[in-house]
Amino acid sequence: MSKVKHKISFVLNYEKTEHYVKPNTTLLNMLREDFDLTGAKEGCGAGECGACTTLFNNKAVNACLVLAIEVDKAEIITIEGLSKGRELDELQESFIDNAALQCGYCTPGMIMSAKALLNRNSKPTENEIKEAISGNLCRCTGYKKIVEAISSVATRNDKKESMNAQKGGDTE
Amino acid sequence: MKEFEYYKPSTLNEASEILSKYKEEACIFNGGTDLIVRMRDEMTKPKVVVNIKEIEKLHEISYEKEKWISIGACVTLNELSKCKMISEKYKILTDAIHNIGSIQLRNLATMIGNICNASPLADSATPLLVLDAKAVIFGADGVRKVLVKEFIAGVRRTDLKIGEIVVAIEVPIYEKSIVGSFHKISRRKMVDLSTVCGTVAKVNGEIRIALGAVSPTPVRALRTEEYLKGKILEAEIIKGAEEKVVEDISPITDIRASKEYRIDMAKLIVKRGLMHLRDSELKWGEQSEA
Repeated sequence: MSKVKHKISFVLNYEKTEHYVKPNTTLLNMLREDFDLTGAKEGCGAGECGACTTLFNNKAVNACLVLAIEVDKAEIITIEGLSKGRELDELQESFIDNAALQCGYCTPGMIMSAKALLNRNSKPTENEIKEAISGNLCRCTGYKKIVEAISSVATRNDKKESMNAQKGGDTE
Repeated sequence: MKEFEYYKPSTLNEASEILSKYKEEACIFNGGTDLIVRMRDEMTKPKVVVNIKEIEKLHEISYEKEKWISIGACVTLNELSKCKMISEKYKILTDAIHNIGSIQLRNLATMIGNICNASPLADSATPLLVLDAKAVIFGADGVRKVLVKEFIAGVRRTDLKIGEIVVAIEVPIYEKSIVGSFHKISRRKMVDLSTVCGTVAKVNGEIRIALGAVSPTPVRALRTEEYLKGKILEAEIIKGAEEKVVEDISPITDIRASKEYRIDMAKLIVKRGLMHLRDSELKWGEQSEA
């Protein structure tokens, strides 16, 4: 093995991808520089701000604290992978509806942390939401609206589920 | 970040051989949350990085009945806090882990990494100290076990020798369930380093106290523990323990706090910890009477 580029195969935003990386490249740099996926931001580069939050095998991680070479055989989802063409993800819609952004720098990371939360718990409480985004800094201090945006998706999930349960009850 | 050669061995022997070959020029890569930042800032410039995450058995949490629970080196902090066996038996450990970094960070970082960094303020260290946990170390000559207390030798210095790898932390299983509490004094609740941290617990019938960020390494407050032996936790005794703990620590002034503040906070942790012990014993007493 040498300092030359290593071949990695992984799934990036639902697409099988092969790529060559140097070991000293972070996942964040690879996403931004090689794939032009600039949604994840480098705020601090040290795992403190959460602006680069990305899903690594469905778990939220700081992309600045992962080596690109580590994602070999893994699945990566970035903010760009949430929308289907021009159809936005429900979280993205909700952030717009609730005006949950000001400068927008922290937004991709916030949404990815929220996505990871909703993937593991579709009906989180307000405290669970706050905890899930506690690793994401918003320097415009717009936390209230961000929590509301995530809450409204959670509430919708809750309604959907109870409606489905009722429907299930009716047919029996 | 400087360039380096990258290895991903799939066995311990292979990993140990690479580490022995490159000696000081090689770094073990586990969670990576500390190493990547240090490499980025060029505080650490390894020629070789050995990723141990491919070694399957390092991801296991296993136990030997009535003896110990073993936590594999590559078990992430979030995986560890989800483990019921750990949270039921060692709540102080789960509480401490929950205070490290953020969710994103805990999805990558490991407890063994936290210990191997040998920071004076490592959050997971104080519960491991009161539990008499051991580091299980693999090397060319086989496996050896060292108390975490002795493993952490100084600021960012451990007992790990060239070619060796910490493969697990072994926590003894105690007959009686452990009552105790973990305390962290920091500026923020999340994503912050401890200004002072500590664990106060009753293990095997004796009160044990460990404190972080008040000495070059996390320490057991042995003089305070000795003082508390056989005493009932009345207000006066707790006050005495607060005074005694000053003899157990040697804090410094740094970017996060002054020496004086750290002394005050260490006393506060002892006070809160002992009060928690007293209150939970009262509760337990009532339950057993009822």
